[in-house]
Amino acid sequence: MIQLFKICKSYGTNKALDDINLRMRKGEFVFITGPSGAGKTTILRIIFGTTRPTSGQVLIDGINLSRINRLNLDLLRRKIGFVFQDFKLLNNRTIFQNVALALEVTGERSAVIRKKTHQALKAVGLSGKEKAFPLELSGGEQQRVAIARAIINEPMLLIADEPTGNLDPDITKEIMVLFRSVNMRGTTLVIATHNRELLKDTGQRIIVLDKGRVIEERTG
Amino acid sequence: MTIRLWTYFLKSAISNILNNRLIHLISMGTITISMLLLGAFMLLSMNLNNWVRQWGESLSMSVYLKDSIDAKAKKEVESAIRKIKGAEIKGYITKGQALMNLKAGLGEQAGLLEGLDDIALPESFEIIFKDRNGNSVDPKLIKSSLEKMNGVDEVQYSQQWIERVEGVMEMFRVVGFAIGGLLCMAVLLITVNTIKLAIYSRRDEIEIYKLMGATDWFVKIPFLIEGATQGLLSGMTAILILVLVYSLISLKTIDLFGLPIINIAFLSIHSCIFLLFLSLALGIVGGFISIGRFFRS
Repeated sequence: MIQLFKICKSYGTNKALDDINLRMRKGEFVFITGPSGAGKTTILRIIFGTTRPTSGQVLIDGINLSRINRLNLDLLRRKIGFVFQDFKLLNNRTIFQNVALALEVTGERSAVIRKKTHQALKAVGLSGKEKAFPLELSGGEQQRVAIARAIINEPMLLIADEPTGNLDPDITKEIMVLFRSVNMRGTTLVIATHNRELLKDTGQRIIVLDKGRVIEERTG
Repeated sequence: MTIRLWTYFLKSAISNILNNRLIHLISMGTITISMLLLGAFMLLSMNLNNWVRQWGESLSMSVYLKDSIDAKAKKEVESAIRKIKGAEIKGYITKGQALMNLKAGLGEQAGLLEGLDDIALPESFEIIFKDRNGNSVDPKLIKSSLEKMNGVDEVQYSQQWIERVEGVMEMFRVVGFAIGGLLCMAVLLITVNTIKLAIYSRRDEIEIYKLMGATDWFVKIPFLIEGATQGLLSGMTAILILVLVYSLISLKTIDLFGLPIINIAFLSIHSCIFLLFLSLALGIVGGFISIGRFFRS
């Protein structure tokens, strides 16, 4: 599903990633952890195609990202959901419009967009909040909106960068339950976090990074 | 692309124009003024051209004959004049008539000619040129060819000053093109900057669209529609104002410095379409430039 071969990434003289070799299977639930500046976000960005590695190859579902053109990268992103720590919601749009956005860009029919948006909001427990605006919701609810937007396309891969970084422990648990349910439906999940609590007794694969290198791989 | 997508693009463009209406109003106002200046310049240039052409159509010529000319040579000159395209002999002025005309021309000063009854004024053919539209009459060429004929003393025509006006008109046209070019550049700059502001005010949105997998064109098209709408509406407003101003000058005729009365004509439908097309094209090109710069950066 995801293959990283000898990935290096430098920002000037600063090495963010150094010789990363990773393979993640389809349907796997993987945590990437490590201290700040370890390279967690950089790996996610490279997988998502928003950052190009300085050297090395990235294959997503057999597609080599270093050889993909801009249009095909856009089309590939439609199969990948991304959840950000800061939610990246449009505050001047309703919850419904925010979630529907992911389907609008694909040129989907309005009737289908309406149906799938309601389904996605129901899946994250936000039915009835369609007309609310992001700033009228709590942090946990906003993150649920972001997850609904990320899963509406039924992506093959869901990437989340510190998805619970701004949330309190109870809401963090709720969000993790949501991610597990998404993973149960066959979506590969890659979550970057520095929250050690999140990694306890998960039974999932954990990749530990430090100073741009993989220092440990274990099951939580 | 489907109608559904285009409907989406249109809705998106209109909603962005409405959300940033102040910026768009200011920009459209400035573009309208530029297009108005361009339109007014075209109107002025067209009417001045008509004006000069109308005067040019009243071209007249005097072919003065030598005293020594015989009947055969006179016939040849007359026949040569009749062969000139558009030329018509208005009359043949004898020596006596020439003197009478001179006296009439001098008016109260005619007394100066008393005692000069044997003054040797030349006989002449008076020529006018009709229906010059479509005929290229070159008075200089006619003058030189007639003056080469046996028995012709001199040819004078009434148009030397019109040639000078035409020279000024030519300069006016060159200046017009330069001003028009500058105005187009100004319109382009205004559109580029307005769209740039619109893009920057929505850069977070664009980033999210791109993260969702929106293609570049999906993001670009609404901005291009914005530029096109801006250009088209400004062009339409400019033409509307020109029509209103034209209607206000309802007399439509002016008598300029005692010169022949002329009609003020409005821009032709082709010129109006040209103005609209130009403002539309400038709007689209402006949109292209600003969105292109944004994507490159």
